[in-house]
Amino acid sequence: MTRPRTFVEKALARASGGRAEPGGIVEATPDFSYSHDYAAFAIDAFEQMGAPKVARPDRVAVCLDHGVPANTARDANNHKRVRDFAQAQRLAQFLDAGRGIAHQVMMEEGWILPGALCVANDSHACSGGAVGALALATGETEMGFLWATGRLWFKVPATLRIDLDGEFGPGVYAKDLMLHLVHQLGVLGALYQFIEFHGPAAARMSVSERFTLCNMSAEVGAKGAVFQADERAREFVAPRARYPWEPLLADPGADYARRLSVDLGEVPPMVALPGMEDRGVPVREASGQHIDQVFIGSCTNARADDLAIAARILQGRQVHPGVRLLVVPASRSVALQSTRNGDLATLLEAGATLLPSGCAVCAGGHQGVLADGERCLSTSNRNMPGRMGNKNAEILLCSPATAAASAVAGCVADPRDYLR
Amino acid sequence: MDTVIEASAAVLGDFVSADAILPARHSFLPPAEMAANVLGDLGEQTNARVRSHAILVVGTAFGYGTGRESPARALRAAGVKAIVGKAFARMFFRNCLNNGILALECPELAEAGVRDGDTVTIRVNEARISHGGRDYACQPVAPSVLAIVAAGGLIPYGKALLAGGAP
Repeated sequence: MTRPRTFVEKALARASGGRAEPGGIVEATPDFSYSHDYAAFAIDAFEQMGAPKVARPDRVAVCLDHGVPANTARDANNHKRVRDFAQAQRLAQFLDAGRGIAHQVMMEEGWILPGALCVANDSHACSGGAVGALALATGETEMGFLWATGRLWFKVPATLRIDLDGEFGPGVYAKDLMLHLVHQLGVLGALYQFIEFHGPAAARMSVSERFTLCNMSAEVGAKGAVFQADERAREFVAPRARYPWEPLLADPGADYARRLSVDLGEVPPMVALPGMEDRGVPVREASGQHIDQVFIGSCTNARADDLAIAARILQGRQVHPGVRLLVVPASRSVALQSTRNGDLATLLEAGATLLPSGCAVCAGGHQGVLADGERCLSTSNRNMPGRMGNKNAEILLCSPATAAASAVAGCVADPRDYLR
Repeated sequence: MDTVIEASAAVLGDFVSADAILPARHSFLPPAEMAANVLGDLGEQTNARVRSHAILVVGTAFGYGTGRESPARALRAAGVKAIVGKAFARMFFRNCLNNGILALECPELAEAGVRDGDTVTIRVNEARISHGGRDYACQPVAPSVLAIVAAGGLIPYGKALLAGGAP
């Protein structure tokens, strides 16, 4: 009888065909890998290594999302290079500019599956833990190495277990919980650790809420995060799965490096103040702070449920004349769903500007760059100086509800004052 | 990779993000232009300091945030051979090693009052660093990972591997 194992130990053992002890290094074969615009660098590495063919091209996909549609000839040339490579190497799927943010799209397309090792050359690859995948980020050169050899090395991390209980109060959402956790842990608070979310409140969360929490595990330095692949996760993946999958669950009694528990009822609407993601405060303490732009977008919080929350608050109201509201649905599928249910019309009637699905300003300033001294209130995941393309601008992070309420108020506002 | 890296050091503080090391808009620049922009968001002087010293002694979380590899590539282009700090975010740590830059965790040295231009000596295989007559132990890097740095980064390592030679 072996000792009880955490999720990441079991998943890395399966992917490496051996044992995976915390602190050890394994060589693993991912079940699936994906990339985006920065595939251009992976192609450089792949070609410079002298590799002729991508290993297992039927398990490799690319979705252009960073600089879409291209703003410059340089970006367009890079996109073309990636497009041509995907065709020449017969990659399983190439999703062109406008389809959405890769993390979101790969989930929708059934590539991210419970128990599978899924990697991407992007720090928010960890989002895939929402459906019980071991979803890990690599570098761009590593992606080229993976294409060339079919394998990669990983250190087996210790695990932080977070138990969630209770229910959110009105106007409080998964993003507020995550900003609360990031504040509590700090930006390196779970460094080299893996996070498992457990508890009755975790079991009640939608895949979209789980996505938000796993996505921002990057903001506490974690290697990744996962929710147990329960019935809800299986219902999501079953109709779309692209390859055979077998869920893995943490063993009862597994050894955790650290445990935290949170009662959701204790979490207030939160806003992370500019400069660092762990500068979270209750929105009440930041009410009235100046903002120039509101961004409802990014892989963290721009799914149909997020847009619905914003639309409910903006219904029959107008964006404050001193504020610009940018809305970027996480994918074309999300945009379509929110068009059909009327939420996008509500947002446009309120004065929102709709941008093409992609990373937009969050990935470093593609559309919606701020002027010197301006402030953006954003549903995205990062707020360090320069993140949105101007080091002299400031970024605050919040939920879609707080973003919508603040767009109406023209300053940071508590969403609970705008619910109905 | 040399088994001993001895060079002058540039000193940088805590929580310098990878976006600050090289903003996303500079990701696709050729190496020389990346070097001209590395840490430019912190001022021209910081850029000049980093370019004139091959070892960086940094605070906590240097390079945290984005997993883009261009910040590590930019440091390599600027001539950085090793970075010694308190604790590194996972992606930046991997990206440094894969670009042939040794990233070492040594909190004691990071707090030892190293000044710009001081000589720092890293004895790689022993996982020890000396400065100002004192000797410090750093977190050892696994031999299998050190082999990637020794090859000059993951590209030459992968090239040797694919050619059938021992990298």
